[in-house]
Amino acid sequence: MEFNVLIGGQAGQGMFSVELELTEILSRLRYHFFATKNYMSRIRGGHNFHMIRVAEEPVHALSGVPWDLIIGLDTETERYHRADLSASGIFLSQGQVKEMEQAARERFEQITVTNTMLAGLILSVIGCPPERLYGIRDISLNQDHLAAGFEFARRWGLEGRCPVEARASAHCKFDGNQALALGALLGGCQFMAGYPMTPATSVMHYVATVALEHPVHFEQAEDEISAVNMALGASYAGLRSLVATSGGGFALMQEGVSLAGMTETPVVIIVAQRPGPATGLPTRTEQGDLNFVLHAGHGEFPRVIYAPGSLHEAMTLARKAFDVADRCQTPVFILTDQYFADSVQMMTEDIPPEIIRREYGIFDGSYRRYSLTPSGVSPLACPGTGEALVKVDSDEHDDEGKITEDPGLRSRMVEKRLKKFDLLRKDVVMPTFSGDPEADVIVINWGSNRMIVDEAVRRLAAGGASAGALHFGQVYPLTKEMVEPWNLAGKRIIAVENNAMGQFAGLLKRELGITVSRRVLKYNGECFTVRELCQTLRNHLP
Amino acid sequence: MGARKDIAWCPGCGNFPIRDVLESVLKELPVPPGKVVLTSGIGQAAKMPQYLDVNYFNGLHGRALPLAVGIKLARPDLTVIAYSGDGCNYSEGGNHFIHTIRRRLDITILTSNNQVYGLTKGQSSPTTDPGVQNLLDPRGNDNIPLNPLALALTLGAPFVARGFAGDKDHLKTLIRDAVLFKGTALVDILQPCVSFNKINTYSWYRDRVHKVEKPAEGRAEAIGLAKVWGPKIPIGVLFRDDSAETREPKTLFGKSVAREAMEQMACAKCVMMR
Repeated sequence: MEFNVLIGGQAGQGMFSVELELTEILSRLRYHFFATKNYMSRIRGGHNFHMIRVAEEPVHALSGVPWDLIIGLDTETERYHRADLSASGIFLSQGQVKEMEQAARERFEQITVTNTMLAGLILSVIGCPPERLYGIRDISLNQDHLAAGFEFARRWGLEGRCPVEARASAHCKFDGNQALALGALLGGCQFMAGYPMTPATSVMHYVATVALEHPVHFEQAEDEISAVNMALGASYAGLRSLVATSGGGFALMQEGVSLAGMTETPVVIIVAQRPGPATGLPTRTEQGDLNFVLHAGHGEFPRVIYAPGSLHEAMTLARKAFDVADRCQTPVFILTDQYFADSVQMMTEDIPPEIIRREYGIFDGSYRRYSLTPSGVSPLACPGTGEALVKVDSDEHDDEGKITEDPGLRSRMVEKRLKKFDLLRKDVVMPTFSGDPEADVIVINWGSNRMIVDEAVRRLAAGGASAGALHFGQVYPLTKEMVEPWNLAGKRIIAVENNAMGQFAGLLKRELGITVSRRVLKYNGECFTVRELCQTLRNHLP
Repeated sequence: MGARKDIAWCPGCGNFPIRDVLESVLKELPVPPGKVVLTSGIGQAAKMPQYLDVNYFNGLHGRALPLAVGIKLARPDLTVIAYSGDGCNYSEGGNHFIHTIRRRLDITILTSNNQVYGLTKGQSSPTTDPGVQNLLDPRGNDNIPLNPLALALTLGAPFVARGFAGDKDHLKTLIRDAVLFKGTALVDILQPCVSFNKINTYSWYRDRVHKVEKPAEGRAEAIGLAKVWGPKIPIGVLFRDDSAETREPKTLFGKSVAREAMEQMACAKCVMMR
């Protein structure tokens, strides 16, 4: 059994709190769940909705099946979503919610208690025994408030209407940005500068919170240009540094990306995509900035772009990003999106808690920041740690870091920087395959679509339609070795992307000569659901 | 130090005396040379670190200040000096100029202010006088000149000074005091541009500059002093507030988040109750 609930209302009515409280309890009670949200770019009013899926198996995507429960905190919920209620589904009307609010006011003198009561009501609907809640001690939720929610469920005959068993084993609960922030800290990140921008802001929030008690600093910059330059300054001075933004902010950061490329200053840049162009849909999702990040920054220099598709991958790649940035002294990108950033999931895989640190050599006065080496990587020193003076220049420079306009030296320096591509190509993240390796159809995807495509392929297989899914957690550079094991030649390739132009399909063609025969694209600002993807893919399967 | 012939400035450029002053200030600072970092942007003045034996990050146009902020936050043990021209610090980097002062960090901001764009060949800068004609302002500059000292004072800068490239001894005292001052210090340096500014020449300045005896009493008086520009141009420390609070960034370098803390944050499994 599984259970899908939608909670709709105006911004500021408390759906966010219901989701936060409910997912916290669900994770403590070891329910498998997936939660995400669809919200407008406003603080009050409008119509937002939060979607939570509770299941007996691990779930990491929106199912797309009709809702078992819809809770309407506003009148719009009924208008927009009632048609998607399952035949046996429950619609909790605005009137019923008002009744609960009334009780919250009378019994607890606090209307916001309604959020906890709603969480209690939902737990009752999935058949959670109320006594299981008594064990939750290290959580700031009031048991009486939850119990009041259970009472309402009983009164309205909703108790145990959609029973789901708690079957998860040991796990951690994160949202996508939290996983990226924690991965960054595991990668030894100690400095972040940023200018708030949805959907990247929560990465800054996590780092700023950690910075309160740990040797980490977050600085809110006056703009994204300043943010990336501060990060480069901090990296030069010796700290592994991070910036995070979305497309519009990244547009401002581009000169800094180029500066990182020229000065060979390590930096990790998280780009959390939202639909563009320009301000676009500020709070919705899209994978429209792959080409942008791929080409960002003037001039030629090496770069890596990761696009994690699961919490575990987000954490491991964020950690790796810092290591690769340092080893290759070049900018490393993590491409994510609003859907992944704002989805709350469970992670069952283990992460080694060791923090990777930057190692410096101590050099004497003969140190030259850009000394030419066979690998193209020069030893990295930071100022004030030895006799070495560290001279870094955005102009073309000689090995010492001094401006040069010598054509021969220019060529050698260009070759030095591009030589680092060899290192990057030797250290690629292999794509992840799921489904039937013998299938004639391979569904290629990247970034946040991974778990949606995986489940869709599983469902199709259960229905007798066979396909394989190949997810790219690294989208650049692409090498032949990355696709070799999957024997793509002669297979029908379908690309699933959250954009209108099939940007990754184009990149596959350009870099590896792989022809995608069908592009399944969505660009209305919403993520794919498993059901809709199944329906579309079924039409393309033999 | 490289011979002067390697230097990319025009003969007679006001940046030469500033370079000499900086070199001797750096030599005499009670700080090991390796602990000093210069940041700069782009422009003729921004080439300065190239001609000094010092750690430097010569970044992008307008961005000397965010680099300096990042370095200081990461390494409070370093002495950080941001050096650029008026185009870099006040125009392309104008926003950073405002917000860097607001950050209350112990950094020094030096500006070679020649009231003209040198490297791009003579266009108006934010400090160009009204009516000055050039290729891109053929009818004369329409804009009100920016007063960097008054702006810095308004923003709460605790140390604000004006120097003149033609008076090296005086300039040396100013720059040394600015670097040693605990807090954000600005020295705007009147720097003749021999190629593109035929008005504000060495002799034009020599006829006008006069040294202030001591800093103004209070910010309001200092702003008044900063605005004096005409037959008499005050140079010296216009304002100094040693009691102003300066941000103390925490020590990060060489430290690491504890493994246990990381386990708690990233690896602590959700606790099962009962």
